[in-house]
Amino acid sequence: MRRTIQKVLIANRGEIALRVIRACREMGLRTVAVYSDADRAALHVLHADEAYCLGPALASESYLRGDLILDIALQSGADAIHPGYGFLSENAEFAEACAAAGIIFIGPPASAMRVLGSKTKARQAADAAAMPRVPGSVTGLTSTQEALRVAAEIGYPVMLKAAAGGGGKGMRAVSAPEDLAAAYVAASSEAERSFGSGEVYLEKLIERPRHIEIQLMADEHGGCLYLGERECSVQRRHQKVIEEAPSAVVGEDLRRRMGEAAVRLALSAGYVNAGTVEFLVDSAENFYFLEMNTRLQVEHPVTELVTGLDLVQMQIRVAMGEPLAMKQEQVRLRGHAIECRIYAEDPDNNFFPSPGLITRLVRPGGPGIREDCGVYAGWTVPLEYDPMLSKLVAFAQTREMAIDRMLRALGEYAIGGIKTNIGLFRRILQDADFRAARIDTGYLERLLAGAAPVEEATVPEDVVALAAALLTSLGTERPPAANDSAPASKWAAAGRQEELRP
Amino acid sequence: MTVWLEVEGKKRRVELPSSVLDGAMECIVDGKLIAANARMLQPGIMSLVIEGRQYRCVLDGDSVLIDGRRFAFEVNDPRSLQGRRSAGRGAAGPRAVKAPMPGRVVRVLTVVGDEVAEQQGVIVIEAMKMQNELKSPKAGKVVRVAVAVGDTVGAGDVLVVVE
Repeated sequence: MRRTIQKVLIANRGEIALRVIRACREMGLRTVAVYSDADRAALHVLHADEAYCLGPALASESYLRGDLILDIALQSGADAIHPGYGFLSENAEFAEACAAAGIIFIGPPASAMRVLGSKTKARQAADAAAMPRVPGSVTGLTSTQEALRVAAEIGYPVMLKAAAGGGGKGMRAVSAPEDLAAAYVAASSEAERSFGSGEVYLEKLIERPRHIEIQLMADEHGGCLYLGERECSVQRRHQKVIEEAPSAVVGEDLRRRMGEAAVRLALSAGYVNAGTVEFLVDSAENFYFLEMNTRLQVEHPVTELVTGLDLVQMQIRVAMGEPLAMKQEQVRLRGHAIECRIYAEDPDNNFFPSPGLITRLVRPGGPGIREDCGVYAGWTVPLEYDPMLSKLVAFAQTREMAIDRMLRALGEYAIGGIKTNIGLFRRILQDADFRAARIDTGYLERLLAGAAPVEEATVPEDVVALAAALLTSLGTERPPAANDSAPASKWAAAGRQEELRP
Repeated sequence: MTVWLEVEGKKRRVELPSSVLDGAMECIVDGKLIAANARMLQPGIMSLVIEGRQYRCVLDGDSVLIDGRRFAFEVNDPRSLQGRRSAGRGAAGPRAVKAPMPGRVVRVLTVVGDEVAEQQGVIVIEAMKMQNELKSPKAGKVVRVAVAVGDTVGAGDVLVVVE
């Protein structure tokens, strides 16, 4: 059935809201932004055709208020809602409420979300679709005794995981039976706190696995494409830090086998729209189903660059009821793309979030650089949300060229006022193991446990001293130039204030 | 104008032309003459050219990013903007005037018992052939003069205490 979409409400914020707005603009669709009190001056608001306030900064009072968002959609005459990632994107009740209100939810149907969004149900679906998966329980554990029994069957080490989880919450690795009871209680209570459900399951721990995922796009006419893989093995505390496509260890045959398995799973659950099936891959190229993400993912740009497709536009066309415009054999991968998630956090202080005012921003550009950025100089990164500032993506002919291109771009990038993890990326991209693609999900923790290499000084000490002296003096004492109509430097203002202190 | 800095833990002294403006200028870094051409593109973003070599410099609080590398620095001169540590300490209690870098005392402008005003010069030290007048951080009474003319002092040495 063909449906018309003319106006899209974006139920999200930051870079992903802007990303969706851009796709809508390119398709000639009107856009409706929503924002919390903390986000009135956010970039996604600035780029939208219409904007409505949701309420206080706290997500539970703004971006998670599905009822308010649906009201705004109805009142503004939006035909469809794009949920982005996070917030309401995997909320089956919200998808259902949209359908009931006659608004198109740009994502999978609630029924498919229910089957594939729950990790335990998804594992049962994976078994039914004959997907290889990590040995372990397919249902939530009911007691420590059951956990001990299952662990004994599959053998240690094992991993406890929250059924409703994600992002590493409610996860515990256990290497011996005597540690299992305590870990079970801890994982379950953490899951309860984080997701409102203490359901925990158990699976065998795969040693040094790589995290490789398949991007899917399914239409409602039974068509489903796999759009290659992404490798996201560089993680810290189960949070992805760098993603790339293709994976250095996935050849044609493995890609086809993983892709076909992912498609089988999606079709078995009646899946429609964009989704990602995550796998662990061991050193012998065995792949194990991990979970399915029933939404557009943060790292979708790397797939867009190597396939040449626009996933958000495809999502919208699928939501309009159109069949996919290409066949599997027309999906071609070309070149290599790497994404760095630039966060406001302090790598020298245990990656503590570092929100605050961005005083200066010099953004990279040039060949093969794409930046999906949600911030600007003068923007205050709010405390209330994920402190991701930007996704920097480098695309080049080969992996090595993409790495060097990314290093060049990171060198151009300067963010002032807040701490960021840009230095961490420079370290990873120069690391011999990363460059040789010797990575697994424990790679980054091992790298960080070692001492940081001392970067060779390329700037003479005298130059540093002179630059510091000049920046201090020019910033504080320079009279505004005649053609400088901008307000006086904030440094000058701060300096004067400083001088007025008792 | 003299700027006293601590760059990556190392004390530096930079002499800039008295009125610093964008463009070509001669500067002295720890006694060494450097012909520089500085251009402030935006507040805190500067292109610095020295002997044809161009450095992109971005000021970020207490550090400067040059060609993508970060260098922490601190301005030690109590008169300047970033002498915040002393500026923020409050007026109560005794305060010391310390030597910002190694040098020799060339003049002592006060004696114990003197009432001094804030920012009144109390001592002059010479380092790298330049004389620098050190000023009282607060108004009060001089309770200690720890050095005499001709004394050699190290960085951080207490010279005078005002209460």
